[in-house]
Amino acid sequence: MSDAIIRLENVSYRYPDGTAALTDCSLTINRNKRTAVLGANGAGKTTMFLHLNGILQPSSGRLFRDDIPFEYSRTGLRKLRSKVGMVFQNPDSQLFSASVQEDVSFGPMNLGLDTTTIRRRVAEALGAVAMAGLADKPVHNLSYGQKKRVCIAGVLAMEPEVIILDEPMAGLDAAMQEELTAVLERLHAGGITIVIATHDLDFAYGWADQALVMQSGGLLAHGTPEDILLRPEVGNALGTIPQIAEIIHSLSLLGIDLRGNGYLPRTRNELVAAIAAVTTREDTP
Amino acid sequence: MLTEQSAYTNRWRWVSPTAKGIFTCSGLVAACAATSPRASLLVITLLMATAIFGAGIPITHYLRVGAPAMLFLGASCLSLLVTLNFGSGGSPLTLQSNPDELSRIVHICGRSCACLAALLLLTLTTPLSDIISLLRRCRVPDTLLDLMTLCYRTLFVLSAAIHETLTAQSARLGHSTVTQSLRSLGGLVANLTIQVWQRSQALHIAALARNNDGALRFLEYPFARSARHITLASGAGITLILLAVLIP
Repeated sequence: MSDAIIRLENVSYRYPDGTAALTDCSLTINRNKRTAVLGANGAGKTTMFLHLNGILQPSSGRLFRDDIPFEYSRTGLRKLRSKVGMVFQNPDSQLFSASVQEDVSFGPMNLGLDTTTIRRRVAEALGAVAMAGLADKPVHNLSYGQKKRVCIAGVLAMEPEVIILDEPMAGLDAAMQEELTAVLERLHAGGITIVIATHDLDFAYGWADQALVMQSGGLLAHGTPEDILLRPEVGNALGTIPQIAEIIHSLSLLGIDLRGNGYLPRTRNELVAAIAAVTTREDTP
Repeated sequence: MLTEQSAYTNRWRWVSPTAKGIFTCSGLVAACAATSPRASLLVITLLMATAIFGAGIPITHYLRVGAPAMLFLGASCLSLLVTLNFGSGGSPLTLQSNPDELSRIVHICGRSCACLAALLLLTLTTPLSDIISLLRRCRVPDTLLDLMTLCYRTLFVLSAAIHETLTAQSARLGHSTVTQSLRSLGGLVANLTIQVWQRSQALHIAALARNNDGALRFLEYPFARSARHITLASGAGITLILLAVLIP
């Protein structure tokens, strides 16, 4: 089986009002990887995501899942959507039922599963996002972060291979972001491919295995975050570079090399540890 | 919100909705079958007592939820007391003084209050999602239930949106005068219309993303001791109907 779980080949899409949202876009999402999709507003991230789940069909070009072209028949879409789950940016736009447990059961019910299997999947999905204790609560009494987790559980209950999240950190405070990151880590450890659209460069830099940078409906750059997020053209497109990379670069200009065993720090904690290690080295006679 | 709060926190939250539905239907039958205002009063008292002492609904919640309906009911009953009398000279409005008519009006009013008490019992003890599941089992058309589901969910989303828009308008002096309030209200309605359309589009896409291509279906709660609750509710319901019929 190839590394590519989803592949776009020269995909273009134009909205009915004539806006060209994707233009000859080719990219690959690798299996079991954490992929961050970056780009300015209007770069085509959300349109591309809607293609991955079969909500939109390309005006031209093709999409592949496991090297098999997407099939847009009723059965094909059913299969695709059960394997590629999508979590939208605004939880209130995707929660249907008034109760947490009921809403999570919505996807499995649509798959036509039996009640015992649905109950098991709902319990497991709520457990995975640490929401089992709130299963009977009404959705409108939850916090924004909890609603987001219910949305993820709703997709998880369909047991997808890929979960796509459109700006999951938007509107969350630092603690909630940390909780959500922990949930995503657990899902990734469980073998799920995770794709996230984000404007948070520091998060993408620290979290992702693979980064895709989009610009004007096409792919500008792809690779590991440390390889591509420091490129000038990427910095220009995104308007900035990750703060941690900037700090490391500034320190390197002062002659302080934070590379430990050839590895550059990518998160705040790693940066603090690297600075502490360098300081200790210099203090040692 | 009070209805919502009571429905999720009352003592009978986990009593089978079927049992509560049966008892409510019995209450409605008893209300219609009550042969006298006294019988109606008895049905009202029993249904209220069941909600307040049985399900543990705070009496203030009960009265506040029932108040708007009672207001309409009161206005309707008062209008029955008045007779329009054109063409025969004298005042065009006369107050009803016929004892038979008065007794009939009191009876109608009593029956309506009893029906209200029966419905309050169900709505204050059962979350709407459970009522929708119950209606689905009663073979109510899916389209109607989908509308109920979406309206119910959207109610909270839109109420939050209204609150946010009003706050934003007030922060920019949008409600400082009556004229500005009216203009802001127009803006609010226009904004909400667009939001409703956008949200309905978003919900449609979200439903497609989770493989929906028909009715909105959800997992129902497994209510423990359901058969026992149904038997008890049926027994209580029959007793209520008998009391309503037998009390002179």
